[in-house]
Amino acid sequence: MLIQVLLSGIALGSIYGLVALGFAVVFKATDVFNFAQGMFVAFGAYFAVTTINLLGLPFPLAVAAIIAASAALGVVIHIVLIQPLSGRPMLSVIMLTIALSIVMRAVIEILYGVQSRTLSTPMPTGIFLVGDVRISQLHLVAAGVSWLCMAAFGAFFKFTSIGLLMRATADGHEAALVSGVNVKVMNRLAWAIGAGLAAIGGLFLGQLQIVSPELEHIGLLALPAVVIGGMQSIPGAIIGGLLVGLIEQLSATYISPKSSDILVYVLLLAILMVRPWGLFGQRELGRV
Amino acid sequence: MTATVLRSGAPRAAAPSPWRWLWWALAAAALLYLPILLTERQIFGFRLSNMMLLNIGLSQVNLMLITMLGALSLNYLTGSAGLISIGHAAFYAVGAMTAAITGSQWGWPFPLVLIAAGLGGALAGLLAGLPSLRVRGLYFVLSTFAVHYLVVFAFMEYQFKFFDVVGVPYKNATLGSWTLSTPMRWYFFLLPLVIVVYLLLRNSLRTREGRAMQAMRDHELAATANGIDVRFLRLKAFAFSSAIAAVGGALYAYYLSNVTSEFFGIQFAIQFIAMIIIGGMGSLPGAVVGAAVWLLLPSIITGLTAQAGDTTGLLRSVLVDHKPQLVQAIFGMLVIVLLIFAPWGIAGMATRLKARLTAWWSRS
Repeated sequence: MLIQVLLSGIALGSIYGLVALGFAVVFKATDVFNFAQGMFVAFGAYFAVTTINLLGLPFPLAVAAIIAASAALGVVIHIVLIQPLSGRPMLSVIMLTIALSIVMRAVIEILYGVQSRTLSTPMPTGIFLVGDVRISQLHLVAAGVSWLCMAAFGAFFKFTSIGLLMRATADGHEAALVSGVNVKVMNRLAWAIGAGLAAIGGLFLGQLQIVSPELEHIGLLALPAVVIGGMQSIPGAIIGGLLVGLIEQLSATYISPKSSDILVYVLLLAILMVRPWGLFGQRELGRV
Repeated sequence: MTATVLRSGAPRAAAPSPWRWLWWALAAAALLYLPILLTERQIFGFRLSNMMLLNIGLSQVNLMLITMLGALSLNYLTGSAGLISIGHAAFYAVGAMTAAITGSQWGWPFPLVLIAAGLGGALAGLLAGLPSLRVRGLYFVLSTFAVHYLVVFAFMEYQFKFFDVVGVPYKNATLGSWTLSTPMRWYFFLLPLVIVVYLLLRNSLRTREGRAMQAMRDHELAATANGIDVRFLRLKAFAFSSAIAAVGGALYAYYLSNVTSEFFGIQFAIQFIAMIIIGGMGSLPGAVVGAAVWLLLPSIITGLTAQAGDTTGLLRSVLVDHKPQLVQAIFGMLVIVLLIFAPWGIAGMATRLKARLTAWWSRS
């Protein structure tokens, strides 16, 4: 039983890690704490419902469409909303992303209604039986794809030249500008990646749970994940996501289903009090 | 060339001109006549349509007054003391919970319940402000986010343990022998309360401590170097604003006579921040304006869409079927537009407009 809970925790945690990775990329590149990341996840799930169930596109095409649409959404949001607010105080930008999530949620509810929908994809939904342990195939696929994406992005950042340019921009905007890097394009790319990863997470979460505007709250769990792992650290975001998934599943099974999210926030508060820069982040010098 | 006069001590206001007395008298008369106007829906025998009154009823005005307490306290915290808190609705929940314990369970009289709620809120604010001793800025905002979820969870557990899933009930509010049973009575109770709180907050900013708080907001290091105990002041600001919010929460609970934990979700907390941004951060009149916009917007939109008649398709879905969502969308877009183009809010725009008009007037 414990093994099962751990496995589902790791599977969910991988999805959270993916969303948290998108969040961390956006934060590192543009310094924006994107509270609307949860809504990007929900949008991904609704894009999935539209392309797969409503429009009936073949699955690979649908997935490509979902990722492309989300990435485009991310870029548009950056151009229209984030860029005009560059240089403004942090609260303004945070409030902007919160207001954005309000608008996005309202748009979803107007277009699709408030009730939840089911998402049926060609992905396998059976169960493997390994001894006493039941492993959901969908969990396996979700975890596998998430890890694949995370590894791909790790390689992207480390080995490609664009990845190098993005890392350089994240380290220092002015230095990158002076070196001739097109910082605008890098920022938009970061937002595209952030939204696209959230959409993939939404695709899996939508099928594992149910497609409704409440997915926003599940997607918002990426926020504590990033903070626990360390906001400026990409591997930290992934590990934070895994931790959040594990804690959620463990407390849902052994304590009570209602308390699943609370322990995550307790841990968040504890980390903020004891080690604010997260498990893997770097200690920031105090700003006065 | 205007000479700059350095004054020491609190600024002394000049004696108000006769025009100001007239303005105050008119405002008082309007405020006193408003509930009668809204209840009878006619003025001097002339019947007013729903649309003319912007679809507002007295109960909505009462809710606006209760929410104004939260907006004022949040604006005090954020704009004047420089602390940002996303989880302000949690203190409403604390107030409601304290009111439930002292009022519904222990049967204390209403005024004592309010005082207890205020004390509970102050304690909760003190605890919630503790992370500010350790972290600043974005991390502190996140801690308020976490605190919000924890408090709402505590309320939910309390609700399920002592009451049931329907919600926590509250008996009628009585002041001595006078029961707050009609909206009109609530109005005449809430209006002086809000005015008193407003004056309290405004005057506290003019004291030595209030100026110290503003110094703390502007430049913490300089304030510390001047001998201001920043940590103590921060906790004090948090406790004070949370106490007011908790009283608001208790009033909210009594007004609705039954609340559940879902009433205090993160959406509720976000409304407060949206209110103070729309109104103008750091200005107490801005909180009033923000709460008023929060009240007026749904009614105006509902009234306007009622005129839509028979429209079909997407437009119908937007205007008729999903009115709450439309209100939310417009609310959110208003915040976004204001943040991009006028971050100083409506009150700030009014101040600038007045300054420009005054400059233009004195020049011509």
